[in-house]
Amino acid sequence: MSTSTFSKSDEYGFVRPDDFDYAEYEKFMSVYLTVLTKCSMRWSRLLVSNPQLKRNAQLKKIVRKGIPLTLRAQAWTSISGVQKLKDKYGPNLYKRMLNKPINEDIRNIITVDVPRTYPDNIYFHPNSENQKTLFRILCAFAACNPDVGYCQGLNYIAGLLLLVTKNEETCFWLLRVLVENKLPDYYSKTMDGVIVDIEVFSRLVKKKFPEVSQHMNDLEMPWALIATKWFICLFSEVLPIETTLRVWDCLFYEGSKVIFRVGLMLVKYYKKELLECEDIISLAECFKSIIQRPFPLNCHIFIKQMFSDIGSLPMSMINDLRRQVSAERNADKSTYKNRKG
Amino acid sequence: MANRAVPQRPNGQTPGKICQFKLVLLGESSVGKSSLVLRFVKGQFHEYQESTIGAAFLTQTIHLNDVAVKFEIWDTAGQERYHSLAPMYYRGAQAAIVVYDITNQDTFERAKNWVKELQRQATPGIVIALAGNKLDLNTMRSVQTDESQTYAYENGLLFMETSAKTSANVTEIFKAIAEKLPKNETTNTAGQGRRLVESEGANKSLSSCCK
Repeated sequence: MSTSTFSKSDEYGFVRPDDFDYAEYEKFMSVYLTVLTKCSMRWSRLLVSNPQLKRNAQLKKIVRKGIPLTLRAQAWTSISGVQKLKDKYGPNLYKRMLNKPINEDIRNIITVDVPRTYPDNIYFHPNSENQKTLFRILCAFAACNPDVGYCQGLNYIAGLLLLVTKNEETCFWLLRVLVENKLPDYYSKTMDGVIVDIEVFSRLVKKKFPEVSQHMNDLEMPWALIATKWFICLFSEVLPIETTLRVWDCLFYEGSKVIFRVGLMLVKYYKKELLECEDIISLAECFKSIIQRPFPLNCHIFIKQMFSDIGSLPMSMINDLRRQVSAERNADKSTYKNRKG
Repeated sequence: MANRAVPQRPNGQTPGKICQFKLVLLGESSVGKSSLVLRFVKGQFHEYQESTIGAAFLTQTIHLNDVAVKFEIWDTAGQERYHSLAPMYYRGAQAAIVVYDITNQDTFERAKNWVKELQRQATPGIVIALAGNKLDLNTMRSVQTDESQTYAYENGLLFMETSAKTSANVTEIFKAIAEKLPKNETTNTAGQGRRLVESEGANKSLSSCCK
């Protein structure tokens, strides 16, 4: 019998829950290992011949098929445009930022949040080297992004980047490229970007799955309650870890629209179940249980379906919706101001 | 086999009225919001509780005489910048616990702002409780009990000092809220007791408060 060939924690150091479905996981891994081997060979070949990959349809397709863990740091750096950022700011930026003083309040929040970042992960135990590294990365990030400073949630992103890349400076640059180039204004002081994108998402659901949208309305469940963490933490601790990283593969190449696709895929797959929920409690429980479900666990099928089953989702449509929502919000704000004044 | 005629609850009570309420936790970052919920719902305490992003959801039921009060608890992120998301979280809430840390005066000032905002913008009649958490750190206290007590009294709030770590007053504060919440909403049209004010929509009988 081979029911317990897997250890209590996964390869990233996350402790598996007591009710972790080892049988389901083993079933999935037996198939997925072949996929991983294939993509490992493909990526080694690619990166050996050309560390700076050119953007084209072929590369996009390969990224969607997944990047092997051992090559992720290198591949993410290459496909996300880190080099451009480095050229812009100079290669020694990280070292310079480490010595730059930051606002004391920000430093204090980071100090409190670091030990609260994946506290159950075996690589983030109290006073571990990883905790010290994470602290430095977040402080350096705050030093060079005074507009963002530190936003709760960045600790989880930087923490996961560190677990994957195992390299402090790579982690710093990938965090920067995400916040500055891939996500619109999510972590700023007003969090406008995330508020807008949650509303955009809710309109996309309304368009593609009107019955679910109606049902959420009927039960008075705002999408913000469910989806804030999706957008802020980029599905870390929302989806199973391997699936989250496959999503990040696409995110580093394609940018924020991937988040909408993942969200829509979840709605589509769990539509029947969501519609059967009779109150807000069962609705919330349903969303919460997603992380342990076999569907997103099978990351390969999940990613495949997310691109094939949702239909087209052009960036122009998302940007139009973003403009529309922002304009409405601004109009609301000025009406409110006028009323107050 | 003998007693299957009468459905028994785990605690041996016969089923009575069930009331369901939405409760939201607000307060500055790391004052112990999630820890209070974790203590109340699971009886646990973690020295390093994960920081909450957006809103986290849990439920817990307590029994008051013949009424089961089921709390639908929304725990929220505390950092100031998440403030703009808060109205979406507390919309429709019938109860709120505003938490501060008794060792940190700034968190008490922030709590007062939350109270003001709830009184101005949340569901009218919302039951608000003020929780001075980290009572286990009493020796490092910087917010005096008298000060908070007076403030709570003047603003019509429930008030307790709590410790998620030792569990002091944790169940008590939820119980005090449950006692103060109106539980006879059966006269409400379409059974919309769960949402005291917003009672639009007709076919939502299952989201009603009292069944």
